[in-house]
Order: sequence, then C-alpha cells, then structure tokens
Amino acid sequence: MRENDPPVLILTSLASGPKHGYALLLDIEEFAGVRLGPGTLYGAIARLEARGLIEALPASGRTRPYRLTAPGSASLESTLAELRAIVDEGTARLRAWVAA
Amino acid sequence: MTLLRAYPTAWRTRYGDELAALLEELDESGRMTWHARLDVVRAGVFERVRLGGLPPRERAREGTLLVVYAWMLFVLAGFGLQKASEHWAAATPANHRGLPTAAFDTLVGAAGIGSALVLLGVALSLPTLLAFVRRGGRREVHKPIVRAVAISVLLVGATAALAAWAHELTPAARNGHDHLYSGAFVAWILFFAACLFAWAAAAATTARRLAFSDRLLRLESILAAAVCASMAVMTAATAVWWGVLASTVPSFVSPAAPNIVVPTSLMLAATLLGLLGVTCTRRAAFPSP
Repeated sequence: MRENDPPVLILTSLASGPKHGYALLLDIEEFAGVRLGPGTLYGAIARLEARGLIEALPASGRTRPYRLTAPGSASLESTLAELRAIVDEGTARLRAWVAA
Repeated sequence: MTLLRAYPTAWRTRYGDELAALLEELDESGRMTWHARLDVVRAGVFERVRLGGLPPRERAREGTLLVVYAWMLFVLAGFGLQKASEHWAAATPANHRGLPTAAFDTLVGAAGIGSALVLLGVALSLPTLLAFVRRGGRREVHKPIVRAVAISVLLVGATAALAAWAHELTPAARNGHDHLYSGAFVAWILFFAACLFAWAAAAATTARRLAFSDRLLRLESILAAAVCASMAVMTAATAVWWGVLASTVPSFVSPAAPNIVVPTSLMLAATLLGLLGVTCTRRAAFPSP
C-alpha cells in the first residue's frame, strides 16, 4: 500500500471517528491534500467493506456513515508501520548523504 | 441520476443512494467538476467489469458463465478457422510443414481438451439440474429453452438447404465466385452464431437458478480456468500456425487473409473475455485471506 492509496486514506480518516462519504472527502483533502473522486471513494469503500476492514452504521437519510473495524485498525497499523520504516530509512540515508 | 447508470444494478442497490447523495452535496458546494463526473463513470465501468456489488458466490457463478459465453464465441471462431484452414497442408511444401503441423495439432488437441472440459462441467451440474427440474423449475426456464430449440430447428433446415445448394455449385462458386451463395453463407454463419448464443443464454438463465453447492461451484470455477487456458493455447497455436504459413506459403495465406484474421481476432477476444470471467471467479471463489 502507498500513502496516497484511497484505502489507506479512508482508513486513516476513519481512525478519528465514523464519517459519511462527503465528510471523508473533505477530511482526506485536509490532512493529505488529496482530492479523491467520488467514484474512486465509493469503489474503495465497497472493497474495504467487503474485506471487513470498515463497516456501515445505520443510515441517516440517504447518507450512511462508516467506521473502522478491529481488522481495519490492525490493517492500518501494519500499513503505517511499513510506511514508517520506509520514512525512517529514507530520512537516515538522506541525512548521511547531506553530511557526506 | 444518469451517471449512476454506469454501475451494475447490484452495486447501485447497495451504494447508489449514498453516492447520489454525495454527488448532490458536491454539486451544491460547487465541487462537481468534469474530473469528478468522469471518475464516477470510470469507476462504474470498472465495477461492471469486475461484477461489483455481487456476493462472492454470485460472482463465481457469473464469472463461470462469462467463460461459457467466451467458449461459445471461441467455437464460432473455430468453425471459421476450420473453413479457412482447409487444404493448408497440401499447399505447403513438405520441408516447411514441421512447425505449422505441430501448431495445428496443438490447436486441435487443445480444442479436444477444452470441449471435454466443457462437457465435464455440464455433466457435473446435471444432478443439480435434475433436482431443479424435479422441483418444478422447468417452468422458470421454459422460454429461453424453447427459443433455443426453435432457432436450432430453423438452423437445421437452413443448413440442409445451403448444403443442397452447395452440392449444385462448382468448388470455385462455393469459394467466393458466386456472390449470392457467399451472402447466404454469411447469413448462415450469423444464424449459427445466434443459435450458439441462444443456447448459451438458456444455459445462463438455468444456471442462475440452480442451487450449486460451494464445492461444485469451486469445481466449476477450476474447470472454467482450465477451459480458458485451453482457449489461450489455441489462440497462441493459431498465431504460430498463421505466422509460419504467412512467411513460407504466402500464396495460400494472402487470398484467405480475411478468413483467418477474423476468426483469430474472435479467438483472441474470446480468450480475453474468458480471462475476465476467470479473474472474477478466482477472486470470488478463492478470496485472499
């Protein structure tokens, strides 16, 4: 997974609490600077839900909020750990290169 | 909302309202750009291709049926190729027959294996079909089966008439010099295609109503993958056969080029359609942990 993969962005957004589609778009744009398309967003939501990483809450009107599940939380944690390892390694190498 | 028509019905049933609400919110906030509209259409087409919104069992079934349709298309292409390949060995010098013979034998062998696998798939589903018929399910599939039988009866009549006509013609007239006969032959091919797809549609309508066990569905998925592999082998063998003949006996290939290009293109299209079906089937029947 890459840091700008829609599933990672959605899981990260839901880590701060349940959100419906529009709120997810705004939140992702705010913390990642990525403007997801509505089709991309719902494609990713459908696949995350099918894999049990997120779950739908009861609908309020025509919108339906989603929340992170325990497997979703574990998946996000593992992805972030992988990304963190790359960030740490990259930072260390860059520092060494600048110092040389 | 018109944009949502790009999505398959099953997907729309589950997410359509939510996505429509999101699109309205984007529209009201002035964020509904052309890029966003295209994104919805692109994602909708993608969901159609991957049979999105269907439960895994249904996706496995639909994926297998897609392979059945692909096989029918392949059979049609096969008949075209069989006609175009008549007398190729006689037209090829003996010292150049090695590779094309091997490719053609591979093609025929893979066709036999593929046909046997399709028949095995049908045979495996027979007990489930019989149980369905015993429960009175025949009425549910009566219409498409009657349609397929009627087209088949008409096809038999058309074939007999065309054969009688061909018998009266010279070989040259049969092979393109009699334009009226050529037109009738093309019409017969289209009729034959309609018959094949009427049976495929009848099979699909019936299969959608059968209560396959998980084990049988898995088995059918494996057979579908094997059938698709046989189609890929046949397509590759045809390409090799055609390629070698084109370089060694251009006098045989050139006049028959359209008769070879069309079936080979159909074979390739059928193989790609089959691959799509297998992808849907594999993802549904063998989900990643």
